[in-house]
Amino acid sequence: MADLLEHIRLTTQALVEFGAHLFNPTVRLGVTGLSNAGKTVFITALVHGLVRGGRFPVFEALATGRIARAYLAPQPDDAVSRFDYENHRTALVGKRYWPHSTRQISELRVVIEYQSLSGYQHTLTVDVVDYPGEWLLDLPLLTKSYEVWAAESVRLSRQRPRADLAKDWHLHLATLNPEGTEDEQEALTAARLFTEYLRACRDKNYAMSLLPPGRFLMPGDLANTPALTFAPLELSAEGPPPTGSLWAMMRRRYESYRTVVVRPFFRDHFARLDRQIVLVDTLAAINAGPDALLDLEHALHQVLDCFQTGRKTLLSALLRPRIDRILLAATKADHLHHTSHDRLETILRRLVQGATAKAELAGANVDVVALAAVRATREAMVRRGRQQLPCVLGVPVAGEAIAGEIFDGETEAAIFPGDLPDDPNELFSGDKKGFRGLATTSSKNADFRFLRVRPPVLELTENGVAALPHIRLDRALQFLIGDRLV
Amino acid sequence: MSKKWKHRPPAVFRLDRDHLIIDSATKTRGSSERRAQINSEPEFEALAITIDDSTRSSRRGIRWAMLFLFALGGLLLLAMGVAVSDLITDLLARNPELGWLGLGFAILAMVSLLVIAVRETTALMRLAKVEKLRQRAAGLIVSDNRIEARALMHELLALTWKMPHLARGRADLEGHLGEIIDGSDMVRLAERELMTPLDQQARKLISTAATRVSVVTAVSPRAVVDILFVFGTALVLVRRLAFLYGARPGTLSLARLVRQVVMHLAVTGGLAASDSLIQQMLGHGIAAKLSARLGEGVLNGLLTARLGLAAVDLIRPVPFAALPRPTLSDIMSEILGSFGDTEERHSESSLAVAEVQ
Repeated sequence: MADLLEHIRLTTQALVEFGAHLFNPTVRLGVTGLSNAGKTVFITALVHGLVRGGRFPVFEALATGRIARAYLAPQPDDAVSRFDYENHRTALVGKRYWPHSTRQISELRVVIEYQSLSGYQHTLTVDVVDYPGEWLLDLPLLTKSYEVWAAESVRLSRQRPRADLAKDWHLHLATLNPEGTEDEQEALTAARLFTEYLRACRDKNYAMSLLPPGRFLMPGDLANTPALTFAPLELSAEGPPPTGSLWAMMRRRYESYRTVVVRPFFRDHFARLDRQIVLVDTLAAINAGPDALLDLEHALHQVLDCFQTGRKTLLSALLRPRIDRILLAATKADHLHHTSHDRLETILRRLVQGATAKAELAGANVDVVALAAVRATREAMVRRGRQQLPCVLGVPVAGEAIAGEIFDGETEAAIFPGDLPDDPNELFSGDKKGFRGLATTSSKNADFRFLRVRPPVLELTENGVAALPHIRLDRALQFLIGDRLV
Repeated sequence: MSKKWKHRPPAVFRLDRDHLIIDSATKTRGSSERRAQINSEPEFEALAITIDDSTRSSRRGIRWAMLFLFALGGLLLLAMGVAVSDLITDLLARNPELGWLGLGFAILAMVSLLVIAVRETTALMRLAKVEKLRQRAAGLIVSDNRIEARALMHELLALTWKMPHLARGRADLEGHLGEIIDGSDMVRLAERELMTPLDQQARKLISTAATRVSVVTAVSPRAVVDILFVFGTALVLVRRLAFLYGARPGTLSLARLVRQVVMHLAVTGGLAASDSLIQQMLGHGIAAKLSARLGEGVLNGLLTARLGLAAVDLIRPVPFAALPRPTLSDIMSEILGSFGDTEERHSESSLAVAEVQ
């Protein structure tokens, strides 16, 4: 019954939007990615490039001069915060710091005035919707009961390398009796320890990705509400929980998490997207080691399973909007020499294999690309003895360590991050022989070290605007909105 | 730990400490472990690309006809040589001045023949090169290979460096060469930058030629005249298009090109029959209803336009990928636009004739 109501609401919403878009063509472009994937930088660079006229040779409409102008319009959804483009740009261009990460959903409206190939004047409104990928990992919860979720979470936390990080929570979990009377203090402790475990997993040395529920890590205005004060329990019994028990309390709160947090997100934002780009920080997972890579694979599969993909038809536009183009982007490609970009792409392709095949079967367009929204490095060949090492030149951020060297954030260095294999399966062999990452070894012995580098010093173009260098951002744009600008 | 792939461990070189020599070609001596040399971004090395030509016939054995022609040609040449040398000795015997003049002419003829031969050969090679470029570009759109695309860009720039209209496009393209752009995108980019002005000009050439053929056919007094005219115009059109796209053909290569165009037309003509031919026939039918002459004119114009389009397909160094291929209806609308007044005048005059009757 609830599902039926939900469907009716979605359909009504779709009908209303269809009518509005008939006169004012609009693309809702979803930008997502797990934390630290580079969403904020991506949107900032994209909007900057559109509004200030970036160097986008592959983005046909801009390169051939068909775009007369693009400007920011007032944010359309009153309940969603505006993407703070101006401040992010100042941080990036002026202070040379990477902007703060996405904590909540935000939106920005860009209006593009262009001339179609046949010569008519048009406008296209692009609503860029930025939301944390962790929230996507909540969507599968809509179909899972508390019991199923608890069992899965506990099983996952017992696997290597999570077991070490979850030690405290496991100790506390063992003291809890699900069928005992409900106790607010016990619930608070359990939720706190569970959140700490999730947070520890996200640390850069482990770089785990599959960490639902997403709001535990980014509570926003819901912090300390009962909807966020629950944790998995170890359940042995079947059937309905006894009234007044801890189990019943946790289950109730899990339900309200789903109704208060997950369902509105799905309805208000997620179900309305036309185009989607998923940013993936593949390099961070490779930095951390094979376990992180496998975890990323699982998380990506869950993320991609959430999307309603398929070819856009009149009927689908009327009843149920679908995403007809998905771009999977391995970000921070500038941490690698361009000769390795193809390998990075194949690794990402391998990560999302099954899921993309499904989306393509449904009629959606899927592409995989290695990009850097802001290119922070230059490239160089370093000759050491008889070896030629393809390096990148950049200023590593303070605290980054490689091969026994720790950086202060001011020194420029030539970094060789280690050779990626031609065959991505080598990284996924699963056994410990694959490669060593930061999760199991020191930064000195790791097989790959992709260092974070500071934003580049920018040169001004003729009209005094800083042009952000990038890698394949134009290709991404062409894929995402190029076909709407013909 | 050993890897199954060729793996070198990560390394770092501090620019302030590690005795790095930037932008220098001198070899570092004394192999201290941390001494290294940076060459800033190297040029992409162009890979030697081999394309096997499977179309070449692989018949074995002696080709007797060829041998016969070869021998005959040799004999004729010898005969000519003997005749010329006889002539010169004759002339010398009669009057030394005349003899020297004759010798001068003979040498001049030899030299110019040599020059012509060299030119024709290079023109033929250029034609083959353009075709190869197109095939490679088509392959790159599929394979997306960055390094090969870069090599191709350099060759395209070399091919077009004499074309004044492309100065801006070439400069832009050269600017993009240093960026990280994938193979297929690079080919599309080059097509947009370099081919757009050429395509426009090609369209204009084709439509002017077609219009002229239509008009001349419609008003020419004898069939022979318009046959000759159509033939001549087609030849000139193909030659101009070839010059436009940088193939600069000589006589032999033009003949070869025309043969290819006709063959191409025979192949693609069948494909296009489904949509445009019917439309053409209809158009022709209506025009023919108005006047038989006019109908013929339109038909001849159409044929010329088709020929021009086929020639563009063959002579363009990049296949149509980013830009729309000009279609017959594009050209036809241009022709009919310019033909409109003629048509009106024609129908008016036929009305006048009807009134008189």
